[in-house]
Amino acid sequence: MTGGQVVTTRWRLGGMLGAVALLFSACSSGATSAVAPSVALTGAPPASAPAPSQAAAPVTIEWWHISTTDPGKAVFQGIADAYTAAHPNVTIHITILENEAFKTKLTTSIQSGQVPDLFQSWGGGIMAAQADAGALKDITADVASWKDTINPGALSIYAYKGKQYGIPWDMGMIGVWYNKALFTKAGISGPPATWDDFLADVTKLKGAGIVPLAIAGKDMWPSMHLWTYLALRSGGSDALTQMVQSGNWNTDACTAAGDQVLKLNALDPYQPGFKGATYDNEAATVGNAKAAMEVMGQWAPSVEAADSSSKKGIGTDLGWFPFPTISGGKGAATDGVGGGNGIAVGKNASPEAIDFLKFFNSVYNANKINSSNIGMSPVVGTEATVTDVNLQAVLAGRSKATFMQLYLDQATSPAMGTAINEATIALFDGASTSAKACQAITTAAASQ
Amino acid sequence: MRTTALTGGASLTRPTGRRAAGVGRLRLSGIVRYVILVVVAGVILVPIGYAVLGGFKTNGQLVGDPVSILPSPWVFSNYTDVIFGANAAVFWREAGNSLIIAAIAVTATVGLASLAAFVFARIVFRGREAIYTLFTFGLLFPSAVAILPLLILVRQIGLEGNLLGVALPQAAFALPLTIIILRPFFRSIPVELEDAARIDGCGAFGFFWRVLLPLARPALATVSVLAIVSTWNAFLLPLILLNGTDQWTLPLGVMNFSTEYVSDQARILAFTVISIIPAVLFYVVAERQIVGGLTAGSVKG
Amino acid sequence: MSATSARPRVGWRLPPKWVTISLFLLPALAVYLLFVLFPVIQAAHYSLYKWNGLQPLTDFIGLRNYVTALNSSTFITAVSNNLLVIVLSLALQIPFSLSLAVLLNRRFRGRSVFRLIFFLPYVLSEAVTGVVFSLLLQPGALVDSGLKGAGLGGLIQDWLGDPNFVMITMFIIVSWKYFGFHMILLLAGLQGIPAEIEEAALIDGAGRWQAFRYVSLPLLGPTLRVSVFLSMIGALQLFDMVWVMTAGGPLNASNTMAIAMFKAGFKNSQMGYGSALAVILFLFGLVVALAYQRFVLRRDVEGALTVFNG
Repeated sequence: MTGGQVVTTRWRLGGMLGAVALLFSACSSGATSAVAPSVALTGAPPASAPAPSQAAAPVTIEWWHISTTDPGKAVFQGIADAYTAAHPNVTIHITILENEAFKTKLTTSIQSGQVPDLFQSWGGGIMAAQADAGALKDITADVASWKDTINPGALSIYAYKGKQYGIPWDMGMIGVWYNKALFTKAGISGPPATWDDFLADVTKLKGAGIVPLAIAGKDMWPSMHLWTYLALRSGGSDALTQMVQSGNWNTDACTAAGDQVLKLNALDPYQPGFKGATYDNEAATVGNAKAAMEVMGQWAPSVEAADSSSKKGIGTDLGWFPFPTISGGKGAATDGVGGGNGIAVGKNASPEAIDFLKFFNSVYNANKINSSNIGMSPVVGTEATVTDVNLQAVLAGRSKATFMQLYLDQATSPAMGTAINEATIALFDGASTSAKACQAITTAAASQ
Repeated sequence: MRTTALTGGASLTRPTGRRAAGVGRLRLSGIVRYVILVVVAGVILVPIGYAVLGGFKTNGQLVGDPVSILPSPWVFSNYTDVIFGANAAVFWREAGNSLIIAAIAVTATVGLASLAAFVFARIVFRGREAIYTLFTFGLLFPSAVAILPLLILVRQIGLEGNLLGVALPQAAFALPLTIIILRPFFRSIPVELEDAARIDGCGAFGFFWRVLLPLARPALATVSVLAIVSTWNAFLLPLILLNGTDQWTLPLGVMNFSTEYVSDQARILAFTVISIIPAVLFYVVAERQIVGGLTAGSVKG
Repeated sequence: MSATSARPRVGWRLPPKWVTISLFLLPALAVYLLFVLFPVIQAAHYSLYKWNGLQPLTDFIGLRNYVTALNSSTFITAVSNNLLVIVLSLALQIPFSLSLAVLLNRRFRGRSVFRLIFFLPYVLSEAVTGVVFSLLLQPGALVDSGLKGAGLGGLIQDWLGDPNFVMITMFIIVSWKYFGFHMILLLAGLQGIPAEIEEAALIDGAGRWQAFRYVSLPLLGPTLRVSVFLSMIGALQLFDMVWVMTAGGPLNASNTMAIAMFKAGFKNSQMGYGSALAVILFLFGLVVALAYQRFVLRRDVEGALTVFNG
């Protein structure tokens, strides 16, 4: 296959809790992967190495995930079944939790010392807090032999203070998803490259009677990503990293982002009822072709489809472009905001649990994750099974990224994340000013 | 009660005679009363009717023409999917969980509260009022206040992820109100009956079981109905205490369903409507118990 | 302690009284103490720590969480939202329920049907109510179209999205669900008043309103106070419906104390702070209860006393 597209970016974990800023070196053709890329999904699943305690007593792996719907639910079950079939002494007990319930239950599980062996994680600040609490297992040594099969940048999200606590199975980047048909209808020839173009397109869409942009005021975080991009494009990666690490958000980059939001607000670009909308409402709005754009991560197409009336979304009308640049801004067009999903390892996890993780991130299973569109696997050599044109664009963006800021509400502590979400949604709701938003985040950081 | 309503109706069937007697003002006030009551009833019924009928509509109808009342065409698949189609597995599982939890919780609530109310009502001892007051304080605790320590506790005693681990705390939170309602009922049973029972050789439990409980049946019905309604509808405790969506109850399911099928409003409405049928049926059957017992108990000494 | 059954209502010959009391009382007491009081006391304990729910409880900070709460504009908004619902309930919901109870306190055709309908929302779960009303209140959905159709398009609001209006919306829905409960309470109270009393007043020349105001209403006092008390406690504990509909948004404008507590504890991992909010919420309830007992209950010595301190 085209082995050239091996991701060799160097990601750097930006220091302390709350500063998981990931720096990519330019995408050069550096070291090649240790693993021969294998793409064919038709191949048999790899017979994973016999578990360390094959003949030993039965082992149960407790695994909590949050894929409550298919295809994710079925794919995960399939991976677990395949593993237990090859390892009869292992039982994998899966608990599927709804996202919010998961967070709640995990916290109290950790508090009471009964941590599941494997569980959903987004890395970053929350995982760091779990590690500080002694709830996670340091798997640095266990994964040493196979960690090179995984994109190092994605892997570093699940490392903290030099120790590995989990493994990513999905890594992508946030960008702008747009409806090509609606763009055409509004007389827009192609995706905007600059923020000024973006605003001009918003005006055109508005003029054509089309809602330009869907956001979700109730859930807050979707528009927070938009704001993060504006801060990143205005101030550049160093400024953003500096803000996250120092907790001082009273900066030019922060106020510039707020000013741009207010400029956008002035065009009245959001869907009716956006202030009370959930992310699912937002996805449904775009998926039902009731709005032209949303700023969202790699999961957008599948959620739009699932939430749409037809269950199919807008199909081939859907397109993706990287967030536009701001003229005069310090940020590069290749700087990104991203993140994904992973599995963290609880402190009591058995060797079998870690062996299962390895199996989970085998090329075969990674291809399955890609081809069923439940994520974009960071396993090296599986890029080709990302067949969706738009996801390929996201993948290209991820590969070209010179800097990747993990979602701000996950890079930081939960309370900080809430503060950032609340401060930014107030901007979008037109209930705040740039300076006020920056001050609110700074105040929250100071009380940490 | 039915008889009185009928006689009441009968008196209204001779308005002409009344008018002749110069009671026209009464008749007018009767009309005004009806108008007000019908308007209020409309406000109550419109959302419910919207949900019931909405389940028979297509999403196109719901969104495109929200005000027209009747579906056209009638779509039955939303309801049939929930009852025995694509969503049936989820629905019946959640209904089963709700049923088990409600059964345990209601039995525990009514059983424990009757025993305690008996003591509070009929035995005088030092500290009785203090303990009773302690129970009444329970009215002041929303379960949200205690939810975090409660989860830790439930886990420590090994009941997490067990339906019992939700039912017992629910029963505990329902105890105060139940005891408060039962106590005056138990108190109102004449002392003579107690003396007679003792002469007949009944012990305390014998009196409680053979005399008190049968006599207090209306009150027991009332508190049972209230307990059923509150456990059937409970949201926060199951949300936090249950393990995984497999154990979820209907209220949680309704919320989850509404996010999962965000673009399929008709289906959400169908699921919601079916989920409330048990509570509504129960209410319609037991309405008199709620209405009669609830008030008599909590209001009168 | 032993079997001296001198007083008729006290003491069974065998077994001794304390055995009976224990056997009857202990199960309920144990369940109550274990699942209600103990967790509440634990919450009070946690509230003195800075604690993210993960680490051991080591960072004792005294009352700092309480100071933070009282200086937090978000929490103050939550408190005022609770108080707003209380005030509106007392000013509008209870009088409304009372008026309907009076209307229903007559024999007429269809009375039991109306009673059945008015109480119906009470048996629906708050989750169901929230989900249905969320759909009804979406922009352009039934409520908006209905208002427009009735020529009242000017009244349309962003019901759940406007920070200035969301609590009003919430109050209306809460009233929709609970007014029937209060109406039934008050109706039963009214029915407990012998008709002869009011009739006597009428015969004595009092007008209907006067008869109601000076005869029935005072007699209804105990019931009314129970209704007020339950309404206040309910308003303080408002959670499920708000959580389902707005989760406290937009911009924290519909936060209640319980929502703020839940968010702090479970979303922000500030378990210590969240516990402090829980304790404050409890203290509010306590103040209401004590004030109620002090200023109101004194006046009805035997009546509503049973609800709180029988």
